[in-house]
Amino acid sequence: MGTRSAKLLRMLSVSVLCVLMLFSAAWASEDVLRVAVIDEAPSLDQQVITSDLTTMIAIHVFEGLYTFDSKYNPVPMLVKEEEVKDDGKLIVIRLREGVTFHNGKELTADDVYASLSRWSQFGSRGSVLFNNIEKMEQTGKYEITLHFKQAFAPWKNLLAFMNGGPAIYPKEIAEKADKTPIPETGYIGTGPYKFVERSPSRYIRLVRFDEYAARDEASDGYAGKKEANFKEIQFIPVPDDATRVNGIKAGDYDYSERIPGDLYDSLKDDPDLVVTLQKGGSQGFVFFNSKEGILKENFKLRKAILTAVDMDAVLKAAIGPEALWRKNGSIMPEGTPWFSTAGADAYSLGDAEKAKALAKEAGYNGEKITYMATTSYKVHYDSSLVITEQLKKAGFNIDFQIYDWATLVSKRADATQWDMFFTYHGFVPDPVLFTFMSEVYPGWWATPEKKELAAKFASTLDEKERKAIWDQIQELVYTQVPIMKTGDNFIYDVYAPKLEGVKDTALIWPRFWGVHFKK
Amino acid sequence: MFSYLVRRIASMIPSLLLTSIIVFSFIHLIPGDPARVMLGDQATPEQVEYLRESMGLNRPLYIQYFKWLGGILRGDFGSSIFFHQPVLSVIADRAETSVFIALISIVLIILIGIPIGILSAIRYNSFLDQFFSGVSMFFASIPTFWLGLNLMLLFSVILKIFPSSGFPSILKSGNWENLRYLILPCITLAIPNSALIIRLTRSSMLDVSNADYVKTARAKGLSEMRVNIRHIFRNALVAVTSALGFTFIGLVSKTVVTETVFSLPGIGRLIVESILRRDYPTIQGIILIVAFIYMVINLIVDLSYALLDPRIRYS
Amino acid sequence: MGRMLRAFYGRKIALLGLFVIVLLVLSAVFAPLLVTFDPIEMNPAEKLASPNGKHWMGTDNFGRDIFSRVVYGARTSLVGSAGVVLFSLVLGVLIGVSSGYFKRVEPYLMRLIDVLMAFPSLLMALVLVSILGRGMVNVIIAVGITYLTRTTRIVYGLTLKLREEPYIEAAVSSGVKQRWIILRHILPNMMSPIIVQATFTFAFSLLDMASLDFLGLGIPPSVPSWGNMLSEGRMYLTRAPWLLLFPGACIVLTVLSFNLAGDVLRDQLDPHFRRDIEGV
Repeated sequence: MGTRSAKLLRMLSVSVLCVLMLFSAAWASEDVLRVAVIDEAPSLDQQVITSDLTTMIAIHVFEGLYTFDSKYNPVPMLVKEEEVKDDGKLIVIRLREGVTFHNGKELTADDVYASLSRWSQFGSRGSVLFNNIEKMEQTGKYEITLHFKQAFAPWKNLLAFMNGGPAIYPKEIAEKADKTPIPETGYIGTGPYKFVERSPSRYIRLVRFDEYAARDEASDGYAGKKEANFKEIQFIPVPDDATRVNGIKAGDYDYSERIPGDLYDSLKDDPDLVVTLQKGGSQGFVFFNSKEGILKENFKLRKAILTAVDMDAVLKAAIGPEALWRKNGSIMPEGTPWFSTAGADAYSLGDAEKAKALAKEAGYNGEKITYMATTSYKVHYDSSLVITEQLKKAGFNIDFQIYDWATLVSKRADATQWDMFFTYHGFVPDPVLFTFMSEVYPGWWATPEKKELAAKFASTLDEKERKAIWDQIQELVYTQVPIMKTGDNFIYDVYAPKLEGVKDTALIWPRFWGVHFKK
Repeated sequence: MFSYLVRRIASMIPSLLLTSIIVFSFIHLIPGDPARVMLGDQATPEQVEYLRESMGLNRPLYIQYFKWLGGILRGDFGSSIFFHQPVLSVIADRAETSVFIALISIVLIILIGIPIGILSAIRYNSFLDQFFSGVSMFFASIPTFWLGLNLMLLFSVILKIFPSSGFPSILKSGNWENLRYLILPCITLAIPNSALIIRLTRSSMLDVSNADYVKTARAKGLSEMRVNIRHIFRNALVAVTSALGFTFIGLVSKTVVTETVFSLPGIGRLIVESILRRDYPTIQGIILIVAFIYMVINLIVDLSYALLDPRIRYS
Repeated sequence: MGRMLRAFYGRKIALLGLFVIVLLVLSAVFAPLLVTFDPIEMNPAEKLASPNGKHWMGTDNFGRDIFSRVVYGARTSLVGSAGVVLFSLVLGVLIGVSSGYFKRVEPYLMRLIDVLMAFPSLLMALVLVSILGRGMVNVIIAVGITYLTRTTRIVYGLTLKLREEPYIEAAVSSGVKQRWIILRHILPNMMSPIIVQATFTFAFSLLDMASLDFLGLGIPPSVPSWGNMLSEGRMYLTRAPWLLLFPGACIVLTVLSFNLAGDVLRDQLDPHFRRDIEGV
């Protein structure tokens, strides 16, 4: 090489180096919170979308009439007070005055009426409540009255549960809305942050709502006073698990949600980040097909399958560190009022021999049992891998089929395609919200015994009596086996040590009001 | 030349049509339902049915195809099912990242590939030649995501020189400092892909270095340097140019992985995510546009032959 | 062929590559005899053990023996890549030779190939695997289609060149049957470039399959494969690097060896043909 080109090359490399150094100057604004989330949220319209991601972002923008405190109690949010009359058949809700929407308009009963109407018609969980309501009316500028067909115990829980729940929109927006998610221009709520923009794959940007009307009570769970300390919050989709962790360490994100369990032990002692465990457990469920196929009404065969599985092994392999899971036969996690041991002695026996005997009694002769799981979520696949291994060892002829999530969701809608499938269920504050309690959710558990108990469960108002009925339902879950629970799984997130005020939340969605950077 | 150009452009039309048919039928063969994916796990069957209806997914496939095609002719690629935005604007949002990555990577590839290729050819069979071919081949043998992760670990997590992931818009903020977000991804793309250019430059230079006209040039007393640059390199450029279309399409594939690793808001990741979400209009739109760009690049490549190699004339 | 083998002696490093390839084939064939553990048997009690006397390469997050998985992974990779080579070669030669030899089908076949070339390979694979589901055969088809287009282009170009060779023209004019010409003259003469292309296809398809594994659309995770091990293990980059080191090294070594071998073989090619391999 000639000297001239050598010189050129040297000059070039020096200048490249200079440019690189220039770029490397660290840049992070103190007023912006950067939250790395696992995926793109489909929409922020939580009335119709039940994605956890949607809920997590939307709770900063929208509010409901009620919300949950850290002990899973439904408490007022937009509501000032309520009055229950006529043995629970008439409920009068009075709103707080002086609450403004992000568009400057004051919240009135008009808005609530329109929002609840839309939710009752098209909302994911609206019908669960409104099937029991005869009439809803506006009885004042700040007053809504609900007439129930008969007393309906879970009404407040349903109004408080924001996942697929009744977020309150301004009247103009709610009235126009139908089954399709509300477009971005309609993201107007009463929350401490307002929606600014969404740049697909880049971020969803929220900025502080300066006229936010906070409650006076101290912050507790999702309830009470909400202090917006950041000028701006960015929710950044970062699908790769490793990148979400590395991004915190590199200073590119302040908070990363949903880190795989296996990393817990090493991250917990990592000085570069803080680990926060979500207290509300989610549950792994194997659903059994009650409508078609070999498992239909064959409760003994289902029991045989249940008997064969040792959940310890499943949880350990799929989740990892013991801090993140609890072997628990109670459908609802410990610490909730719904914890119950009824029927749970059938849980996690891991007895292959007994299972074989039961299967034989049930008339099982090695027929193919189709088990579906997704590889889109590692914990689904890993759990299923262990479960199917154990079932095969106990002599079941399992046809293990794996799909990506989208395919599984549409396959499971067709009862002829499967016998069992695996999914996770988020924490719910009231058992009526469990998907297996619904007769239209794939699995289609609708035996007469279940119908009867479910009806009784809904119409009983007394908390003690309700608990007693729930015990019976759980007992039935272990005899008819519409689902098989793996255990409680506690999700954890990580955040930069400079964040202060992050609370272990009661449910599973982190919230960023009350959180601030260390001074 | 002009009539050649017209013919080439005209021949792109049936190709694009064929592409559109293949894309459309492939995409709709994928099992899964965008409405279900969107609404979440707890959606009721009625909700799903409503949404399907309003998205036009219940109509016969051929009608959906012609509707789509008709739209494209009017410049309307339809609306993204997931984002509720026109497909073109969804793609335009991501195009910035991908265009920056593609340009920087191709420049890097050329900056790395051609000089090393020339050097290897000049020092044919020397230690240097063997060393470069060994090293470039080594990098070409590393899985892209693995290389990217290691670079991220070293430069972002340990040394904290570059950001680990993401890419805030430059065009919107006017902040050119944001280019630093793209340095690691571009290196991840450029290093393995340089191997091809190194090889092409080297061997095409070797091929012509014994050609008659080069010998003549030497005999005329031109310095070795000038012979190398004027004659040999110019010829090598033809070979390298011919690989550009191929390199481009290869880059698109590799950006899918790179953008996932570095969480970049680009076209590559949009493709994967759209497939997972069954966002049919978006996938179709992207593939068609990528195919179109590829065809245009190939056309430019063919035309540039004529400029680089005086012996080729199109008529 | 003999000339090709002899060429390896000229380059020591390529000889090493050849050695790695032989080793790979042997371990793939004799996998059940070599392994110390069942590659899919889980043992939660011993999860994430570092390399030791019992588990030579340590264990993964399920307590599965990494050495055994790496050995079986060789089998998966070999079958996968060989499948891609076979798929692309058989179809590629068929389409390429017919387009090059029979003018009537040429426009249709090559137009289709041109269109397929405009699809980014990974994208094609993603879509196909989404349709067909995860599985070895599906991955082979998905990745194979990309290489099919390249192989076809090469074979097509070679056929056109060979047709103009004086001895083939002579054979044609003396009325030898077309089938005979193709079998007797065209195919044998393109053997060397095809072998070279096959070597590269083998190397690159291995990387493509690893990328698919990374995106969660490759070989089912229940089958031990290097790509899956690498992508599942990436969470343990700092905590248990052996999860990544061994399968990663295997991929790099294998791809490198095939690349080196291909390089040596290509240098032996008639320069007349060499361009065809390099450009595409």
